[in-house]
Amino acid sequence: MLKKYMLSMLTASSMLLAAHVGDLTGVKTIKIDRNMSKVAASCIECHAKTSPGHVNDWKESRHGHVGVSCLDCHVVAKDNPMAGQNCDGMKGTDVYISILVSPKTCAKCHPNEVKEFQNSGHARAAIQVEAKDSMQKMIHHYEGRDHPTLSDSPSATGCIQCHGAVIKVKNGRPTAETWPNYGIGNVYPDGSVGNCKSCHSGHKFSIAESRKPAACASCHLGPDHPDKEIYDNSMHGHIFNTEGSTWKYDSAPDAWEPGDYRAPTCATCHMSGIGSLKSTHNVSKRLRWNIWAPISKHRDGGNETAAHDYMKSGKFTKGNALAGNIKGSDAARSEMKQVCKSCHVSTHTDNFFKMADKHVELYNTFAKDAKKMIDELKAKGLLKKDIWSDEAFNTWYHLWHHEGRRMRQGALMGGPDYAHWHGVFEVQQDIRKLQGIYDKRMKTGKIED
Amino acid sequence: MGKENKKFPIVIVSIGIVIGLLISFISAVAVHETSDKNFCGICHTMQPMLDAYKMDVHGGAGDHGIEVKCVDCHLPHDSTFHYLITKMETGFHDIYAQSFYDLEKIDWQEKRKHREHLVYDSACLACHTNLKEATMSNLKSFTGHKAYFSGKSEKKCVSCHENVGHKNLGDYLPKRNMIDSIKEK
Repeated sequence: MLKKYMLSMLTASSMLLAAHVGDLTGVKTIKIDRNMSKVAASCIECHAKTSPGHVNDWKESRHGHVGVSCLDCHVVAKDNPMAGQNCDGMKGTDVYISILVSPKTCAKCHPNEVKEFQNSGHARAAIQVEAKDSMQKMIHHYEGRDHPTLSDSPSATGCIQCHGAVIKVKNGRPTAETWPNYGIGNVYPDGSVGNCKSCHSGHKFSIAESRKPAACASCHLGPDHPDKEIYDNSMHGHIFNTEGSTWKYDSAPDAWEPGDYRAPTCATCHMSGIGSLKSTHNVSKRLRWNIWAPISKHRDGGNETAAHDYMKSGKFTKGNALAGNIKGSDAARSEMKQVCKSCHVSTHTDNFFKMADKHVELYNTFAKDAKKMIDELKAKGLLKKDIWSDEAFNTWYHLWHHEGRRMRQGALMGGPDYAHWHGVFEVQQDIRKLQGIYDKRMKTGKIED
Repeated sequence: MGKENKKFPIVIVSIGIVIGLLISFISAVAVHETSDKNFCGICHTMQPMLDAYKMDVHGGAGDHGIEVKCVDCHLPHDSTFHYLITKMETGFHDIYAQSFYDLEKIDWQEKRKHREHLVYDSACLACHTNLKEATMSNLKSFTGHKAYFSGKSEKKCVSCHENVGHKNLGDYLPKRNMIDSIKEK
């Protein structure tokens, strides 16, 4: 009896697993003869044996359904810097492929999505890291210890996995220091910028996946921008975590509306075409404030510039810290309010933003006072040369980069624990600590031991 | 004298017609003769483009050996007037450039980035007439060009079809990696 029971459980669980990942073991022979050239079909047929995971994803994808083959995305011209013929089936033919698929390729069929993305703050993720000396020093000197062989590991295992990298290629293959990564702002050897796979993982490229908070949560988490945690703390997250597994996530773009879901996910508010709003891949477009910066300002800077500048001139720039809605920050806010309108009365929305804005402004008063102290200490030579061993600097850094962001992001996304305990409470503690160090140093004219 | 006076206009008109036809004929021959690889390839500067073109399906390397002329892509096909005016402009520019430019200094790899200004969509579509009518039975043609034909994309044909017309052009042009030339600036 027990044996029978165990066996039936095993069968049931393996069926459940199969329903989720597809039947990997069953993908042995696939014959493709539809809308595809011979060579394109041969990639699929061979990889069904050599790497069934790829083919399994693909056959579940929209691409598979419309006959977009491996080759359609991976083929490149012979003189493309990413071109290689590393696969046996390809040697001796005039087909060249690239392991890397850049947004330039995606843009062939999805031109507007890529364009909107490149107008968004996401697009500067890797370029700005390259452009900022302070970040380079942090990664290679402080964290990488300027080690002759090991100094690249902080970047490869950490930074680039969210920010993306300037991908280098050797003999048609990307280097270990720069790839694999799932960073959103990759700079590809063909000159294009971005990474669609950060949110639509390969080789399924699912719209449903990108609409779930998990797509954002792989980067927007942790002490400095706990957006996933804030969402979980909010009433939106509460409802999602209760019943989100039963919602519908694959409605057509612009037609994913309340009813398909009972509470918004990240994508709903920041990107989706809800009500009369158009969907957008520009995640900065509905934001009034920049709440990552040391001192928050309204996003009145127009579009993001880093990707466009790089694609034009090959130069790494810091980009546009005030990238937002080209019509300005008020237009951005009213677009965001349009999202809320589908589920909330305007008093609810107006009151919510009124108090959230105040919390951001309150933060700014802390930050301005703290910044003033740091600037004075610096001017008087009362900061250590190695700033990361200086307690005053460290306290300031945590005030804005960790606690201050939590305070502001918690407020604007309805996460009370982050607006308060992980936010403003910590910020007031920080500024008291900083004040103490400041007073002491100014009085003695010396840095304490 | 009276008779001669009557005949005079007819003679003049006839001569005019003959001269007109002759000029038209010469022009037509000139337009025709200056349209393909034999003419465009006279100058050495065009050799790499010519070599790469010959390896391409548009240059006769396809299964059926169909060969399109240089101007079938590199002149607009939206109106005869626009076609002829552009032919004159580009023709005179080429003569000027051949005579006065430092040809060695032209960075052709860099120029490839401006391909959208050198190839006309109206030209592509003059031959690829069925593309717009593609249906779900040809999924790739249909989905791939949907944004383009619905006017939702500003891209030109060659924005995506980067190497069309000149196969592996980069191999024939002086070696300059695309990224290197960006960085040199």
